[in-house]
Amino acid sequence: MAAPSIARAQGSKLLRFVPQANLSSMDAVAGTQYVVRNAALMVWDTLYGIDASLTPKPQMCEGHEVDAAFKTWTFKLRAGLKFHDGETVTTRDVIPSLERWMVRDTMGQQIKLRLDALEALDDRTFRIRLNKPFPKMLFALGKNNAPVALIMPERIARTDPFKLISEYVGSGPMKFNTKEWVPGAKAVFERFDGYSVRNEPGEWLAGGKRIHFDRIEWSIMDPATAAAALQNGEIDWWETPLPDLIPVLKKNPNIRVDIADPFGNIGSLRMNHLQPPFNDPRIRRAVMMAVDQSDYMQAVAGDDTSTWKTLPSFFTPGTPFYTEDGGELLKGKRDYAAAKKLLAEAGYNGEKVVLVVATDVAITKAEGDVTADTLRKIGMNVDYVATDWGTVGARRAKKDPPNQGGWNIFHTWHAGADCVNPAPYTALDAGGDKAWFGWPKSDAVQAGIAKWYDAPDAAAEKAAMAEINRASFENVTYVPTGFFLMYQAWRSSVTGVVKAPFPVFWNVQKA
Amino acid sequence: MSTTTLTPDGLTAAPDLADILPPRKARGKIMMFIYRYPTIAAGGAMLSIILAIAIFAPLLWTVDPTALAPAKRTRFPSEQYWFGTDMLGRDVYSRVLYGARISLIVGFSVATLASVLGMLVGVCSGFIRWLDAIIMRVIDGMMSIPGILLAIALMALTRASVQTVVIAITVAEVPRVSRLVRGVVLSLREQPYVEAAIASGTRVPKIIFKHILPNTMAPIIVQATFICASAMLTEATLSFIGAGTPPTIPSWGNIMAEGRALWQVKPYIVFFPAIFLSVTVLAVNLLGDGLRDALDPRLAKKV
Amino acid sequence: MFAYILRRIMATIPVMAVVALFVFSLLYIAPGDPAAIIAGDQATPADVERIRASLGLDRPFLIRFGDWLWHVLNGDLGTSIFTNLPVTHMIAQRVQPTFSLMVLTLTIALSLAIPMGVLAAWKHGTWIDRVVMIFAVLGFSLPVFVVGYLLAYTFALQLDMFPVQGYTPFEDGFGKWLGNLVLPAVALAGVYMALIARITRATMLEVLNQDYVRTARAKGVGQRAILFVHALKNAAVPIVTIVGIGFASLIGGAVVTESVFAIPGLGRLVVDAILRRDYPVIQGVVLMFSFVYVIVNLLVDLLYTVFDPRIRY
Repeated sequence: MAAPSIARAQGSKLLRFVPQANLSSMDAVAGTQYVVRNAALMVWDTLYGIDASLTPKPQMCEGHEVDAAFKTWTFKLRAGLKFHDGETVTTRDVIPSLERWMVRDTMGQQIKLRLDALEALDDRTFRIRLNKPFPKMLFALGKNNAPVALIMPERIARTDPFKLISEYVGSGPMKFNTKEWVPGAKAVFERFDGYSVRNEPGEWLAGGKRIHFDRIEWSIMDPATAAAALQNGEIDWWETPLPDLIPVLKKNPNIRVDIADPFGNIGSLRMNHLQPPFNDPRIRRAVMMAVDQSDYMQAVAGDDTSTWKTLPSFFTPGTPFYTEDGGELLKGKRDYAAAKKLLAEAGYNGEKVVLVVATDVAITKAEGDVTADTLRKIGMNVDYVATDWGTVGARRAKKDPPNQGGWNIFHTWHAGADCVNPAPYTALDAGGDKAWFGWPKSDAVQAGIAKWYDAPDAAAEKAAMAEINRASFENVTYVPTGFFLMYQAWRSSVTGVVKAPFPVFWNVQKA
Repeated sequence: MSTTTLTPDGLTAAPDLADILPPRKARGKIMMFIYRYPTIAAGGAMLSIILAIAIFAPLLWTVDPTALAPAKRTRFPSEQYWFGTDMLGRDVYSRVLYGARISLIVGFSVATLASVLGMLVGVCSGFIRWLDAIIMRVIDGMMSIPGILLAIALMALTRASVQTVVIAITVAEVPRVSRLVRGVVLSLREQPYVEAAIASGTRVPKIIFKHILPNTMAPIIVQATFICASAMLTEATLSFIGAGTPPTIPSWGNIMAEGRALWQVKPYIVFFPAIFLSVTVLAVNLLGDGLRDALDPRLAKKV
Repeated sequence: MFAYILRRIMATIPVMAVVALFVFSLLYIAPGDPAAIIAGDQATPADVERIRASLGLDRPFLIRFGDWLWHVLNGDLGTSIFTNLPVTHMIAQRVQPTFSLMVLTLTIALSLAIPMGVLAAWKHGTWIDRVVMIFAVLGFSLPVFVVGYLLAYTFALQLDMFPVQGYTPFEDGFGKWLGNLVLPAVALAGVYMALIARITRATMLEVLNQDYVRTARAKGVGQRAILFVHALKNAAVPIVTIVGIGFASLIGGAVVTESVFAIPGLGRLVVDAILRRDYPVIQGVVLMFSFVYVIVNLLVDLLYTVFDPRIRY
């Protein structure tokens, strides 16, 4: 029975990682869950990739040419790119991949709106011809937030954009081991020896993605178990340690703790704009009036006030174009009486509000509990549906009435890196049916976003963002519940862990 | 087989607590009772205290057990927060006290419902020959599904609420009671006085009420207490794995489920409900052991 | 004897049929339309209708039950709504951890509880007896997950003797396998030990008072021989019975223990499935556990013939 010390001594070629949530699917084009995106970024590669300054750098592409009007883009793939099944990556794979992505992604949709042709010139060269300028093309192709413009083999890329892919072959640095995948418990990635690494130093999605492990194992476990396992050296890296456990982890000399991503996160209370009662903007405003962000942030991020702040904005604080224009509704003391009055004016009459809460993710559970309490304070009839994050992911896509499998409110959070401007900011879009779950519709918001895309200079961009912020508050596209930093924790034997909006596995090593 | 101590669930094979508790000098009637039935006295006293706590929870210096106060979260037990506060700033003391209500409601409701239904099915089965075969097949089948899985499966069908939890656990318990009652009925039917009553043309309902039911009461009461204890544990377990009482209701299982993420740093969130649950279940089990010894001398006569 | 065994095996068929009917009804009355789920978000009502017809979901209950049963007998338990993987595959992936946990629990429980029960009966009325019996009552009253966390905290975190979580397959080494399972198995063994210790003590007391044991004593047979050869052999039947019956609580406990110790077994599968309302998975696991439970009790019945030659067939 004295074996465990041996049991814990694993080969150095294995990295044991605990992700933020269960990995139940692998499609980061059709789905936008962070955990899925994080896994997919290992398995699939992108044409371009952003670095830590959010600048897109060539990744699968060797380079590109673009005309002065930013209308005709010609790209050339690097030689020697291979999929995990040994096939060479060609433009025949790239084009359907981009086509599928353009249907789902908000930036992709912008490209599609302007698109005249997406054509292959030869096996390694393809061209995008637009009828309107699109200067943010490279960012769109290289951004890290889902839907990511992942390049898949043609047969997989032909999958209906609204259906999940069922084969997981990519050209990324890691292969997904389908055989060992135990949904709800374990996911295994193996190094792809045929990966052609770029020579530049790796940074986020840019440069050389060098994998120093034969296997990366994701184990899904609850936070209490993960904390104990990390302290005991049974796992190497925990993506989202609970804030309350940070002091204990910090005390342990074998554990390193750091902010996961300096861009932080924006909490989100998302209402369904299609279904009553939240199809009425006054009722959405009433909810926003009652939201006390410091309550949310304490429940989510804990007592350490250096890790969170209130956020009367839809954008990431500390970034150049940050604006609080129009954010008055979230500032100052909460006025429940006024919120109640507004509800009454809007004719709210005790209709049930279906609040779907993912109780298996600490952040969404905390947000959900605070929202239930908040809504009750203003006299709303809350139906608290406890479920898991995977189900929330599926259920939020349903437009049906709440009593037929739909929903009224769910919670999530957005990586601050995705909220610096409208381009990667899926949740900000208010294009109605085509918008992200909740399907907010506001012409003013859309007009602001269009202005931003066409903005010739920084001043115009800033003005457009202020306009978007105002319109988004007016429309209550969603309710930001505050800004918070998350931690990550790893064993001190692991080196090379970087701050990023997603776990960067390349260039990480273990002693 | 000489296993008279076995009922179908095997749970009634209990220790004589008379053996555990040292004998005391008897003084007065109460002391006499305690002396003769120390197990009943101990279990009963503990259960009474829990019951009083549950009933008078609002008067026992509690606050609203569901009121959030994130600004005052995860406070250690203190003069102000006797059992501390949880991760949303709710008062654990108040939650634990109100939680007693859920456990007791579930325990008592399941015990009562399962006994009544089990008695009904058991008597029908014992008296109606053609029905007996069918009922016994169904009971055998139901009893082959481990109780907690049966409850989980039933909970999956509906929206969680205290009622659905009660129903789900009851369904899992009814077959045991039915089988117990049927056994008693069948053995009673063989008794000369019952046979005589049947021969003399006494109507079946009368036989049931006059001869059968009174004789099933003792084993059923004993069985009911064990069902009560196991129902409380099952409710806590279901809630703990997220398939029980809705998380908005403070039940002991829910408090522990929410607190478990922090068990390493804030153990009191799990600790207090765990103590209360264990003590309550222990009290009911002791009561059951004692009642069995007192009510069923045949079972109690174990050397 | 062969006829008895055959009869006993045949008797499990109607039992399993009832279980199957119940489990099927579960899916039948479960909310949510499988056809709509398969059709996806973009489907029209006509699409859903077509899929329903193609899946045979519009046929009468009994025909669907028969069809389903045929598939089950052929090893097809359907497809998980959530992961789109065959349920049999998902179950197969997770059988080994659960099976290992149960075997180890059973081993621990039997090897500790029987001596405890024997000891209590032998030292009837002494403090040893009381300690054993107090332990037995506590075993019934402490929730498995509370015991689990206590053990993990003490032996894994404070004393660093065992891993806190996870599972190592048997083929990766016995030591690792055992190290991962010791704490969960001990936590799970509590209830089971209480059950077995109690019944052992009770039946031993009964047996020890019987004439032939007294005769043996009078003849000068040693105390140990009396206890373990004569008495225990005769107490075996009720003990074996309780082992079989108590298996249900073992299964129930495994569901929780696996969650506490992050063991990727069937218990966690069903716990995950219930949060997602993944009915085919719930159905599959319930069916499988029930089948195992029936088989275990069948084996127990057959074991009687070994332990108690007096039983006539």
